[in-house]
Amino acid sequence: MTNPATLPMRVLWNAFFWTYERATWQYDLMVIAILAFVWLTPPAWLGDPMASGNGPIGWILKMLNADF
Amino acid sequence: MTFTGLIGRTFLFPLRLIINACVAMRIHPNVLTFVGVLVNVAAAVELARGHFIRGGVIMVLANIFDFIDGKVAIELNAVSAFGGFWDSVIDRFSDIALFLGLIYLYSHLGRTDYVMVASIAMMFVIMTSYTRARAESLIKKCKVGFMERPERIVLFMIGAFTNRMAAVLWVIGVLSVFTVADRIIYTYRELRSTEQAVV
Repeated sequence: MTNPATLPMRVLWNAFFWTYERATWQYDLMVIAILAFVWLTPPAWLGDPMASGNGPIGWILKMLNADF
Repeated sequence: MTFTGLIGRTFLFPLRLIINACVAMRIHPNVLTFVGVLVNVAAAVELARGHFIRGGVIMVLANIFDFIDGKVAIELNAVSAFGGFWDSVIDRFSDIALFLGLIYLYSHLGRTDYVMVASIAMMFVIMTSYTRARAESLIKKCKVGFMERPERIVLFMIGAFTNRMAAVLWVIGVLSVFTVADRIIYTYRELRSTEQAVV
């Protein structure tokens, strides 16, 4: 049985040392993570030269700040 | 079925029609490859002018040519070693053209930081192809690493259509570094196991 303590390290290693084919659930998961980064990261955080604003994360933070 | 598999199947239907049309007109696959790079240069010009949506639309068109050339070659019985070589070389020109468009745009905007991000991403994209080509002269196959050409192209389109090119460049850059590292590690391991088997 594999040591559960090593699981996060194995997940990280498998994400880094990528050997999965396209159209597998691991591939889907990676695509979701990439799309989340691209669409949710506020352009201002990255200093995007062409886009401005805070994006979806910024809107959520703004809404949360308005509520409290 | 995975959702990326479903997307692939959905897009395959219209592409099938285009492939059939090209086969019926007996267009040589090498011509399709060359037209693809010319259209990609037009997309790069639009990116350089900051017209991302227009650039994205042209990129879609360019990559139709890119995608169908191999399939048309099979259907026309025109698969050749030179065709494979020509396709790989032309693909590199297409990759570089898109990056040059962005580098021009960012330098025009005075954004040296993003000129560097785009340049470093471009360097690792080229190294991604080079490491595989060189590795496969030593070992049978070296198809590891996530960031290959189809992923790059789709990301470029997403960046262009949703105006998130900066995030896309970071993703392409970082994952291309990983892909190059994966290929070096994989080749090292494969060569070492072959050498140990001989000894």
